[in-house]
Amino acid sequence: MRRRLADFLPLLVIWLPLLISVAHVVGFTAWTTWLSFTPSDLLPEYDWAGLRSYRAVLRTENTEIAYANLLVYGVGYVGLTMIIGFVLAVLIDQRIRAENLLRTIYLYPLAVSFVVTGTVWSWLFNPGQGIQKFVNSLGWTSFRFDWIIDRDFALYTIIIAAVWHGVGFAMALFLAGLRSIDPDLHKAAQIDGAGPFRFYLRIAAPGVAPIAISVLVILLQYAIKTFDLVRALTGGGPGISTTLPALVVYDFMFQRGQLGRGSAAAVLLLLSLIVVLLPYYFYTHWRARRERTNG
Amino acid sequence: MRIRRRDLLAGAAAAATLPLAARAQVKPRVTFISQWSSGSDGAAITGLGKRLEAEGGIWQHSPVPGFTTEMMNKLRADIIAGNPPAASQLKGPEIAAWCKIAPTVNLDPLVEAAGYEKLIPTELVGLHKPQGHWIALPMQVYRTTTLFMSRPAMAKVGATKAPKTWAEFNELATAMKAAGIIPVANGGIRWDDGMKLEIALAGINAESYRGALMKLDSKALKSADMLEAFAQLRRFANWMDPNIAAQHYSVNLPKFLKGEMGMLMMGGWAQGVIKNLGGKLEDVLITSAPQNEGKPCFVLNADSMIFWKRKEPDLTAGQQLLAKLMMQKDVQEQYSQTTGSIPVRIDVDLSGAAWSDGQREAAQVLNESFKSKRVLLSLAHNMAQPNQISSAMIDVLTEYVHNDKVTPEQGVQRLAAAVDTARG
Amino acid sequence: MDKALRPGRWLIYAILFGFALFTLLPLIVIVLNSFRTAVEIGRSSLIGWPAGLAWRNWSEAWGHFCIAQRCEGIRPYMENSFMMVVPATILSTALGAIAGYSISLWRFRGDTIVFAIVVMGVFLPEQMKLIPWALVLRELELTNTIGALVLIHTVQGFSFTTLFCRNYYIGIPQDLMKAARVDGAGYFRTFWRIVLPLSPPILIVTVIWQFTGIWNEFLFGVTFTTGVQQPVTAALIAIATTPATDVVEYGVESAAVLLAAIPTLLVYFFGGRYFLRGLTAGAVK
Repeated sequence: MRRRLADFLPLLVIWLPLLISVAHVVGFTAWTTWLSFTPSDLLPEYDWAGLRSYRAVLRTENTEIAYANLLVYGVGYVGLTMIIGFVLAVLIDQRIRAENLLRTIYLYPLAVSFVVTGTVWSWLFNPGQGIQKFVNSLGWTSFRFDWIIDRDFALYTIIIAAVWHGVGFAMALFLAGLRSIDPDLHKAAQIDGAGPFRFYLRIAAPGVAPIAISVLVILLQYAIKTFDLVRALTGGGPGISTTLPALVVYDFMFQRGQLGRGSAAAVLLLLSLIVVLLPYYFYTHWRARRERTNG
Repeated sequence: MRIRRRDLLAGAAAAATLPLAARAQVKPRVTFISQWSSGSDGAAITGLGKRLEAEGGIWQHSPVPGFTTEMMNKLRADIIAGNPPAASQLKGPEIAAWCKIAPTVNLDPLVEAAGYEKLIPTELVGLHKPQGHWIALPMQVYRTTTLFMSRPAMAKVGATKAPKTWAEFNELATAMKAAGIIPVANGGIRWDDGMKLEIALAGINAESYRGALMKLDSKALKSADMLEAFAQLRRFANWMDPNIAAQHYSVNLPKFLKGEMGMLMMGGWAQGVIKNLGGKLEDVLITSAPQNEGKPCFVLNADSMIFWKRKEPDLTAGQQLLAKLMMQKDVQEQYSQTTGSIPVRIDVDLSGAAWSDGQREAAQVLNESFKSKRVLLSLAHNMAQPNQISSAMIDVLTEYVHNDKVTPEQGVQRLAAAVDTARG
Repeated sequence: MDKALRPGRWLIYAILFGFALFTLLPLIVIVLNSFRTAVEIGRSSLIGWPAGLAWRNWSEAWGHFCIAQRCEGIRPYMENSFMMVVPATILSTALGAIAGYSISLWRFRGDTIVFAIVVMGVFLPEQMKLIPWALVLRELELTNTIGALVLIHTVQGFSFTTLFCRNYYIGIPQDLMKAARVDGAGYFRTFWRIVLPLSPPILIVTVIWQFTGIWNEFLFGVTFTTGVQQPVTAALIAIATTPATDVVEYGVESAAVLLAAIPTLLVYFFGGRYFLRGLTAGAVK
């Protein structure tokens, strides 16, 4: 009897939380998908309405602008964060004396919520009260930094604020990756007479490639879910020029009280996520297979 | 399942005492949800609560931080959970939309007893009786078509009175711009931008406003008046401070009070904000926005409370008490004096010292407009249309204000298209 | 390699400290603003040196400021946040560790699929989960309680924690596991004796990540609680949202934001070194 319990208990401990989580993920996604095919407004209704919600959502200018923005923002945010993070990690790896201090400074933005990030950066970007005003008051009166009110440039202010938030995380991961590179490789490179540039380019960069993928994935999920930051920084404006897909979902679902359309927008967002994640999935598969054949 | 005699007796005894116990225990109680957590709105709703308590009730208010959307999320979550508040904030066409998803209380007996219906503007009545009987009550009224003028700015250009038509307004604005004053103080938040159009259109032709923005008649939406309104909106945009975007209009007030900005088109509530900032109302001239037709017209924004059906006797009693209080003159006076709005009842006397000139002027215009049937509902403040339509329309308007490459013709087209998509 | 970089070493320090300044900029601005009065800020701008030390902002923010008609500052909300974050962090970390352990070291049928689905949860946007959670809470009769938030954050955090832990545990050498099995240790004993002692790096990473994420969360905190139970994010939003009839108290808002950020800042301040160590030990692969 005790043997039975000993066999059964682990199964319970393993499966109970996993099943709840699976039910949560699958259930919520399925429910949202179902709703996207209904005419739901304020409360869920469950009759079939076909693709009506999708058509309505795709027709609005908000959706077009949101996805175009997501492309620019996604590439800018993820790209810049990773590049700057990597460079900072490489520099810190040079046995810098102030490492603890620098690391603490770089990491603290992660502790700050996106709402506060957006709010404080909106103060800084404000032309009449922020950086532009400050520089002007120092004497350089022709200085302009009014991106946040310029519909063509406002998106870049969001990228700056997001990069500010995420660089510490990227740096930490890259630094961890650099440090886990076999020290023998360092010595071998030295013996071969390879300079620092070549070392980092040829050996370290490929060495941290797996970690880079992890950084990429985490930053991407942040990018796709970006909501609080935009709301606090620009409110989606000027006009609707900095709206992003997560804001479109919120707008339809809650501001306009159209659950059907909001769910359709959410499903579209998830689909765009899959488009990005599928390559990652294939990459890990390919890498596993490669290791198996090489190993 | 056998029912024993003991149980029957116990049951009968309990039933016999129940009415007595219930009657002895019922203290009217109200659970309330709103977004009014601070400022003068918060003070006013707290004042209402204190009044309820003074009359023997229990007041349980849960303000939701954020804006109206957050409040509606909370309301929806509570409704889904089967636990709606006894009453909640809700306004305009949303009352009609939301009453379909949860049962409400029929207030007709109370309203008739107070003879209330004839005391409030007709446009408001319809909004609160979407299914033919009263389920909600208005709390206060604001006018959105108010023009505030900075006296120092006026002095600088030698203007002595407020412009009465858009032509006069445009002249004055040009003069101000030439004198180095920013003519239009605008914040750049969505509803602010949206308001500018409704003020322009209402000032051009009230009936066009009614047809286009309230009835969504496609001919009215594409009419010459609408084109003119968009042209005027473009003029406003060109006269705004280019350094302001997506900010609350109050950031402009310091400059406005000093005379560096000339004119503010805002709802009557701006009075309270000016006072809070330490501004002196003598420095400001408050009047109606320009009216090309020369006749008074009032674009209305009102806050209301809706009553959700509850079974509990203490909540039902609380609802009755709250409704009765909300319809009373003294309660409305207290509320409006706190927030700077106008009472809903048109029979309130505003000549006392507790009221400002701005409130008096607005109330007078309301009365006159009521009589000449020129009371309109605000689009930007979600009175004229339900949120799904007004959101789409305001998207177009705020884009238009911030994107000077959109011509008035294109603006008109986009607005009509947005209405179609939102409706379809 | 050291020597080769020495001439350029000043450049390295310049870049590093330059970026550090950029990173510190918002913090400096908000700390300065927390010592300025609203009148000062209103008159000049949002970037500026305080005229005096307006400690009043801090005492107001902590204990006196009227939020939602209760004039007790943000202290009660901080307490609520703690009551929510601590259990949720502990639970989600513990469950994630066990799940990560199971998936990586005790292979079973369908473990890859299950793991993939659980990790998918990391990507679901919050907005689409609002109403489903409302329905679930209704069934469980948990609406308007701190327990509701603990449940939500535990379930949602589980996806993250499982991801982190599984990626870490997979680096534990199979020999250790074999040795344990030879000694007759079962599922629990192996976890207790072998896996857990190796876990501190990843557990710290997970705890820091969860604590920060849950502490800073706003949407669910506002929607599923009322009045007295709301977390501190709700209070911050209440201070920051200006009704159309009022003026923003930037000074008090800054002080409140700093006070609310202190727990997470402390976590990163003291845990930063371990965060990095945990990552180096292979937390995220």
